[in-house]
Amino acid sequence: MPFTSLLVAVDGSEASNRALEKALELAGLTGASVTALAVEGPLPAYAATIGEVEEVKREKDAFFGRLAQDVRARAEQAGVAIDIDIRPGHAAELIPRVAKERGVDLIVLGHRGHFLRDHLLGSTADRVAEHAECPVMIVK
Amino acid sequence: MSNLALATILLGAALAASMISVELGISVALIELGLGVVVGNVFDVATPEWLVLLAGFAGILLTFLAGAEVDVQQFRREWRSSTAIGVVSFAAPFLAAMAVAYWGLGWTREASEICGLALSTTSLAVVYAVLVETGLNRTVIGKRIMAATFVTDLGTVTALSILFVTPNVWFIPFVGVSIALIAGLPRIAPAFFRRFGDRVIEPEIKLAFAGLFLLMWLGAKSDSHAVLPAFILGLALSSHYASHRSEQERLRVVAFAFLTPLFFLRGGMSVSLPALWANLGILALLFFTKVIPKLLGVYPLARRYSAPHAAFTTLLMSTGLTFGTISSLYGLNAGIIDETQFSLLIAVVVLSAIVPTVIAQRFFQPDAGEEARRDAALGRPALEGEGG
Repeated sequence: MPFTSLLVAVDGSEASNRALEKALELAGLTGASVTALAVEGPLPAYAATIGEVEEVKREKDAFFGRLAQDVRARAEQAGVAIDIDIRPGHAAELIPRVAKERGVDLIVLGHRGHFLRDHLLGSTADRVAEHAECPVMIVK
Repeated sequence: MSNLALATILLGAALAASMISVELGISVALIELGLGVVVGNVFDVATPEWLVLLAGFAGILLTFLAGAEVDVQQFRREWRSSTAIGVVSFAAPFLAAMAVAYWGLGWTREASEICGLALSTTSLAVVYAVLVETGLNRTVIGKRIMAATFVTDLGTVTALSILFVTPNVWFIPFVGVSIALIAGLPRIAPAFFRRFGDRVIEPEIKLAFAGLFLLMWLGAKSDSHAVLPAFILGLALSSHYASHRSEQERLRVVAFAFLTPLFFLRGGMSVSLPALWANLGILALLFFTKVIPKLLGVYPLARRYSAPHAAFTTLLMSTGLTFGTISSLYGLNAGIIDETQFSLLIAVVVLSAIVPTVIAQRFFQPDAGEEARRDAALGRPALEGEGG
């Protein structure tokens, strides 16, 4: 059965760019709809001032605004309709949750390969693959 | 150690704290406190007068900024449901901690009051970060929690200003100048900033600093503390700053680049690790003395006003950081508490910033989307703004 709905995680990194490219290619072949999920990472934990939180939030909003524009342009270029969903939180928790909410049948995400962190804590890709209820494609 | 050597070490630590904060995603203040502990325990330095003065001013500036960051309109909308939670959130741990310190630990009456104040607080910034990160700051429950936090902190700063007053002749000018600044500055700010603002020499920041130093000086002369007028002054100017964001940002740049690091580093420097190690049982007792009264006092009200997220609300109201540190440092500087008591209070304050937040986020975090749909179903209007 061909895929009808894809979710690709984007964060502006090289790895996520490769994942987006694959997702758009796959959507072009299967006619699937694509959701690009951008997860705004956590704000400074245990902040002492609201100013510190607001500043980081503003920077993130600006960054993800530019990222959304870039993703939309690349999807247009590939002739694929794309829905962009920007949410605050933790990627490993949010990606499977949003995939379930939207009923997607494939998650596409990149693998950055932080040697030390991956071995100590496990990568985001590992954790998404473990918790997702649909197939997961990890693009290296 | 010479003043220059200490200043170099402190500014180096402030730089390291910023870099670690960016890499780990943990608040710079917490890292500064931690590095202050390292500096204080490794170098064994006495705290010089200039550092006490600058850190004291930074504490007042933090209080002013906290007032300026309050969303007054949001508070007006939610004050009925938030006041009860906010008052109990202040009073329950304040009274419990005071009683435990006085009768249980044998601290002096004044030291017990400092203990009560340091443990009564709720951290506006910790709560705000959780709410913004989850998107709950745009929901009614998020607005209520922020408004309740404001009430709790108002209780803390009011008590800190009132409890230790020894009325003398300076108290009258202190009150008079406080009222004049709070009433006058918001009125003259637009014209002053229009004429002198937006320049690299920053007359508007100097105006705010001069006002705060004046309050500190008169507060010290009258054996009181400038936190209450500084907080109210910030609150009075909050509408002005809300419509002139760049001014507020420049003020924050000056504060965060130089002053607030000295405040948190100085706080950390006076924390004695051997004293903490020798009093781990008291540390645990004080931590639960903060958290349990908050849980018992706030939870029943939260069930009424922020159902079905009473546990989440209660845990967030149990956090603390900045005002707890300010109260403890005031006690230390005024000779009310000793280094061991200060170390215990700072450790409890830091623990209270972390433990309730982690539990609230891990086990009780509401879904912001679901909450927004619930607001809509109950006919509550969609809320604008970040809710600071």
